[in-house]
Amino acid sequence: MTRGETRNLLKGLAFLSPWLVGFAVFMLLPIVLSMYYSLSDYNLLQPPAYIGAANYRALMHDGIFWKSLRVTMLYAAISLPAGLFISLGVAVLLNVSVRGQSIFRTIIFVPSLVPTIAAAILWKWMFNQRLGLINRALAPLLELLHKSGPPWLDQSSWVIPSLALMSIWSVGNTVIIYLAGLQDVPRELYEAAELDGAGKTQQLWHVTIPMISPVIFFNLVMAIIGILQVFDTPFMMTRGGPNRASYFYTYYLYDNAFTSLKMGYASAMAWIQLLLVLALTGIAFWSSKKWVYYQSK
Amino acid sequence: MKIISRIILTLLLGGALCVLVFGPRPEPAIPAERAHDVVIHYWEKWLGPEYDAIQQIVNDFNNSVGREKYIYVELMSMSDIDQKTLVATAGGVPPDVAGLWDPMVVQLGSLGALEPLEDLAKAHGITAADYKPVYWNGSHWAGHLYALPSTPAAVALFYNTRIFHENAAKLRAAGLDPDRPPQTIDELDRYSDVLTTFVTDAHGNRHVTRVGYLPMPPEWDWYVTSMPLWFGAEEWNVKSRQFTLTDPGVIRTFDWMESFPRKLGVAAVSEFFTSQGGFDTAQNSFMRGTQVMELQGPWMALYIHHNNPSMDHDWAVAPFPTAVPGLKDVTYCPFDTLMIPRGCKHIPEAFEFIAYVQQQAVMEKLCMLHCKGSPLSKVSSNFLHHHPNPYIGVFEMLASSPNAHMTMQCPIAQEAGAELTAIVQGVLALEVDPVPALERAQVRLQARYDEFETALKRRMRVKN
Repeated sequence: MTRGETRNLLKGLAFLSPWLVGFAVFMLLPIVLSMYYSLSDYNLLQPPAYIGAANYRALMHDGIFWKSLRVTMLYAAISLPAGLFISLGVAVLLNVSVRGQSIFRTIIFVPSLVPTIAAAILWKWMFNQRLGLINRALAPLLELLHKSGPPWLDQSSWVIPSLALMSIWSVGNTVIIYLAGLQDVPRELYEAAELDGAGKTQQLWHVTIPMISPVIFFNLVMAIIGILQVFDTPFMMTRGGPNRASYFYTYYLYDNAFTSLKMGYASAMAWIQLLLVLALTGIAFWSSKKWVYYQSK
Repeated sequence: MKIISRIILTLLLGGALCVLVFGPRPEPAIPAERAHDVVIHYWEKWLGPEYDAIQQIVNDFNNSVGREKYIYVELMSMSDIDQKTLVATAGGVPPDVAGLWDPMVVQLGSLGALEPLEDLAKAHGITAADYKPVYWNGSHWAGHLYALPSTPAAVALFYNTRIFHENAAKLRAAGLDPDRPPQTIDELDRYSDVLTTFVTDAHGNRHVTRVGYLPMPPEWDWYVTSMPLWFGAEEWNVKSRQFTLTDPGVIRTFDWMESFPRKLGVAAVSEFFTSQGGFDTAQNSFMRGTQVMELQGPWMALYIHHNNPSMDHDWAVAPFPTAVPGLKDVTYCPFDTLMIPRGCKHIPEAFEFIAYVQQQAVMEKLCMLHCKGSPLSKVSSNFLHHHPNPYIGVFEMLASSPNAHMTMQCPIAQEAGAELTAIVQGVLALEVDPVPALERAQVRLQARYDEFETALKRRMRVKN
């Protein structure tokens, strides 16, 4: 390395240093420490005492741990495909040239700008069984069926579908990414398909979806990571209830850390969560070989 | 090009430096003439009128004892104060005084996160005789005084006298006296049955329009952990350090809670709960007249007056009914506390402020502003006669009763509260059978407590 190159390297590092220091102090160090804490009995106030894998063993016998995992997986099973397909559908519709297209795009995107806490309070009232807008809007239909409005957040069987429904409201970011992908699909492919006699559905299935499959894959991976960390919405809207039906994994982790002061136990949960995210992302990557098409390959 | 980029960089850095040096500054929190006083950082959880009340007390202190002894208390209100105090204590930068809740005496005390106050209390002449036993005992853990009370509570039955009188004929027909509140749980149920009203819609669905009594929405942990007291039972035995969730009295309590959705219908109960707002809002069902009886603390008088002044003369207070013959004047006494976290830099000065709040006149001023009872054994006639809650005498009597109970003295009380809340939610939705649920909770919580105790012993061994 010449003197000039070394000087440039140092300059580069100096400019990067705020990020590097921030990453080391606020990310890397806590990650390393949390690994140690997960093998310790640690309550924040006293020094951690090494206990080996006891926290991990205890988790395997903890009914609430499994319950929170089931709740999270159920939410993921509903919210993930629904979010991906609905946002794809909305993006396809928004990609059609119609008058006021930019207004429709804005309308879809705006909810994703609403802070989660504000959205949670808003939806809590929307879901109110007696006074909520949703049940009021459904009233004529429910009248015909001789039913009363569902207790959205107040019954164990309804709470997860309700939260999943709410999550669809803020798919704006995902839609924007799909839209960018859709606009990259070469026009001539559609023209060739049309010449071959393909209808709109066939064009969507055989041209659009394969061409934007890398975007679908990206959204899938981001959704897996995000959904396994859901915390703020149930914390604000249901406090994990009723009867722990919306007690998500991250919520239980938080309670262990800051309510029960079991920081070691919570760290072990965090590492299991990381492994889970890695495993699911790994499966997604493995499966991508079969369904993701890259133009450059 | 190189010169231009350097000029831009210099200008940016220079600008940043100017902002740092000459930029806006916050108003000094401490008056200039008190700059050399010892500053006590006091964190409180209260907001709104409750914060204004404690600010008055802090100002009084700063202008009297504080001025004399060169101590200046700086009050800061914050949310999630328990977690912030904990993290600050762990980080070695705790506040000097923390305004927390009574369950934290045991939780933080058992973890060594609080300064013991018994010697300081003794030096200030503060003794057990100054307090109602329930609050004095609740300030202790493992033989140490870890807190002193700020504003306390006792809970009792609030009932709507107007609705009682309007339904006098119906109550009499059912063999009940409309001029007095229920005295047993059985009577409470009977009053409730008479006073509960429904409408039935076109499809035959029943909707509760007014309920006589309903177990409180279970977000109130204190409700679920205290309810067995009126059934002559407790969920935790502090002497044996054992949970007692399968005690017949506890099971009876949960069976009783289950009887409400069974009688009224799960959908009707759920719909009723969701239609009401927080206990301190105008949407509270008692204040709206859609609930006739409610278990609450003395502060309700203030909220009723603010939210529905037309109801000011339509309610009264009595001890909550009990399920055990001969058991009377039972109450549950949660309270707010002042504590000194471990690592506090100015312990004697911090205690000066705490001791100031314990003076009868100061304490009564604070408790009247908060519309609560007094933790002190002596209460002035001014306090009883000019308190914003005209029934404060009932709360004072209950708090002094031998059947006044403090919060579960268990280091994992918060976890126990969460576990029991989940059970109550399941019971009210008829999704959970109380007995097996309590049996499972008993096993889980006891194991959790045993694990806590083992960890505590292990840490003691490491320390020694």
